[in-house]
Amino acid sequence: MNRLLDPKFVNKTKRFVPYIMAGDPTLEASIDIALTLQEAGVDAIEWGVPFSDPLADGPVIQEAGERARKLGMNIERAVDGVKLAREKGLTIPVILFSYINPVLAIGEGRLLSLMSDADIDGLLIPDLPVEESDSIRAECRNVGISLIPLITLSSRDRIEKICQNGEGFIYFVSSHGVTGTRESFSEKIADSINTIKKYTDVPVLVGFGISQPQHVSYFNTISDGVIVGSALVHLIGEQKYALMHKRDKVEGLDKIKEFVLELNS
Amino acid sequence: MNTLLKFCGMTNYEDYSKAVDSGVDYIGFIFAKSKRRVNPHDVHKWVKGKPKKRHQKLVGVFVNETIETIVEVIHACPIQVVQLHGLETAKYITELKSSLPAMKIFKTVHHKQSGHRELKDFKGYVDGYIIDTKTEDMWGGSGIAFNWESVPLYTAEAMEQGIPCFIAGGVKVSNIKELMNYEPAGIDVSSGIEEMGMKDERKMKQMVELTKEKYQAPDSLGRFGKFGGKYVPETLMHALEELEDAFEAAIADEKFFEELHREWERYSGRPTPLTEAGRLSSYLGGANIYLKREDLNHTGAHKINNAIAQALLAKRMGKNQIIAETGAGQHGVASATVAARFGLTCKVFMGEEDMKRQELNVFRMRLLGAEVIPVISGGKTLKDATNEAIRHWVSHVEDTFYLIGSAVGPHPYPKMVREFQSVIGRESKEQFIKEVGKLPDEIIACVGGGSNAIGMFYPFIEDDVSLIGVEAAGKGVDTNEHAATLTKGSVGVLHGSMSYLLQDEWGNIIEPYSISAGLDYPGIGPEHSYLRDQGRVTYESVTDAEALEALQVLCQYEGILPAIESAHAVAHAMKRARELGSDAKILVCLSGRGDKDVHTIQGVLGGNEYE
Repeated sequence: MNRLLDPKFVNKTKRFVPYIMAGDPTLEASIDIALTLQEAGVDAIEWGVPFSDPLADGPVIQEAGERARKLGMNIERAVDGVKLAREKGLTIPVILFSYINPVLAIGEGRLLSLMSDADIDGLLIPDLPVEESDSIRAECRNVGISLIPLITLSSRDRIEKICQNGEGFIYFVSSHGVTGTRESFSEKIADSINTIKKYTDVPVLVGFGISQPQHVSYFNTISDGVIVGSALVHLIGEQKYALMHKRDKVEGLDKIKEFVLELNS
Repeated sequence: MNTLLKFCGMTNYEDYSKAVDSGVDYIGFIFAKSKRRVNPHDVHKWVKGKPKKRHQKLVGVFVNETIETIVEVIHACPIQVVQLHGLETAKYITELKSSLPAMKIFKTVHHKQSGHRELKDFKGYVDGYIIDTKTEDMWGGSGIAFNWESVPLYTAEAMEQGIPCFIAGGVKVSNIKELMNYEPAGIDVSSGIEEMGMKDERKMKQMVELTKEKYQAPDSLGRFGKFGGKYVPETLMHALEELEDAFEAAIADEKFFEELHREWERYSGRPTPLTEAGRLSSYLGGANIYLKREDLNHTGAHKINNAIAQALLAKRMGKNQIIAETGAGQHGVASATVAARFGLTCKVFMGEEDMKRQELNVFRMRLLGAEVIPVISGGKTLKDATNEAIRHWVSHVEDTFYLIGSAVGPHPYPKMVREFQSVIGRESKEQFIKEVGKLPDEIIACVGGGSNAIGMFYPFIEDDVSLIGVEAAGKGVDTNEHAATLTKGSVGVLHGSMSYLLQDEWGNIIEPYSISAGLDYPGIGPEHSYLRDQGRVTYESVTDAEALEALQVLCQYEGILPAIESAHAVAHAMKRARELGSDAKILVCLSGRGDKDVHTIQGVLGGNEYE
């Protein structure tokens, strides 16, 4: 059962969804982080697949991807990591976040069957606009996985077309540019979200640049929740030595938990 | 898909000559008892009098003939395909093949109920089928059509065997469209192109036009077959749609073209000359080589053609900031140049490694008023500079124009760059016809992203000319250090479009290598991938060493220092010139001059004795 379509996720308000890079600093650490995030009460996890040319990402996530790739992380192992996390008690929805080329390299069909097997609920491909996504969306539907669409401030008259295919949630990109923390946000976001609401009932979550508790509380008033990536990935990068060593691991994980609780307070 | 077309039963020189001119794929002569029977010695004379086109094949039709007679005919005239139109068996075909091992064999199967099953008997023995109507007193050519409902069955069986199946019998100009609804792989016409017993030129041309689609890639979604498309973050989609609209409006606007041509002419110095490389050709002792002198453009390479056009488009769209990526610095210099010319601000993204290698070009761009932004991600070369330019564009999409330098990127860039670089091929065609009196036999251009090559090839795409793209083999395609994307790559998505790429099994892009920074790119324009898979363009590769050798030869025999990129095309032309006869003409796109490379060349060849 796709957990993104479960009443628990569908009826929630103020959803908080963190992004982490699979394999940063190690796959084992990513699994620990995921379980810690669940403990901290997050509503779902975006599980990133590293790629050599992540052109929607800023330096923080680029560097995390490089760290993961150096230790041999790839799309197949990333999916396998979710399976391991499920075995260790991860029960919240998981969305696999990958650029299109790794998806094509492993093969759409094979990827989706591995994802089903690992109990992954959603797939998000940042460089696959709606025009190019028909075939993979059909395959996703076959196996009950939601293909998460993105909408941005520049989507304008494209919003209706994108909403027609929305499932799970809609990822609203808060600002022009790549992932990374930001100080301020456009006032037009609320208008765009209202437009989206005309076309779909699927929850709209805002991501890109969210790093402060006041960002979270602001977006919780105009949308259905937030996605936090770079700010968390940056913290994981700072804690990488702690997270890699048994002795200091708990300390590293506690910092992550604190960070989430404070952001989402 | 184009439907293959065969005109059969030429009985005299005039008919044969009209068939050649029509561009039909196969031309048939009947050597069996028939009102259209011809003598092989006559066929030999006709073909000598008028050579067929390169893609055309000559077919000899036989009915229950002895193998000795067929062999005699083949020795007397230049036939490439033997069509067996009687009751020949697989055993007979095996014997025939042992006498004529290189010959292609087509087998005629006479239509009857479940006739498609008969094709299975010849699986592996033949290279094509003709399905014809047999009447009581004739083996074929009766002009009577069979029930075309069964065409898909024949076609599917032949397709499974991987060979074409031609439908014959009663096909005319008036019913060929109806036949094409059944999607046959090929059509064979004889009486349908005749008028009063002679082949009719107009009917032939109509048939060809009705069966051949014009080359019209990309489609409205920016697809060249499966290649191309728009694989970009949603943030850029609106900008690409806006760009596409502006581009289509601009090229339909005469004023835009007037201004563009004026800039090309008075600012960049177009048309660039066509130079006959006489001393080089006689040194090689084969075909004649001609050079299209894009090196004589302002700033020293073809890149300026596209940069001028895109800058004019940016201005037209009211965008005053342009950004560009650059590898060797040629496109960066061209972008900085046009920004100065048209009063735009310009940021050039360049990998830190490339900045070190091309210090002078960095200085030159800055002198022209551009800001050069060092890129420190990834391998710090062209691929990473492109990533960073796209990231910047995503952040400043409302007021920034991204001036892409090659025929790569999301739609409409590959189409747009092709359009703006096609001036190379259009001029070449005109100049060649004027100076040589015919089209070249082969055209050769180097391919990195592929902008000079597509600009040169596109105007010749429907002509009877061999087109050859040359990739950089670096230290050899069997080493890890090359940039031979089409030779060694696999299909994937990079920088917004689907094409062949150098990548590992997990879809991560592999850093390419070539001595020439302009060919050092892990992808290739999507149209080249399409043309390769379609078989319209052949792609070869040339190593660093071969390119440097060619560069020196061109310096010494013609006094032209080519860019190392262009030297790859010259190197392949030198190979081909020796292989082709002295009647052949080769046109090479000399895409840029080598002044920028003197430092690199000196580093490899030595000669800096004062250090």
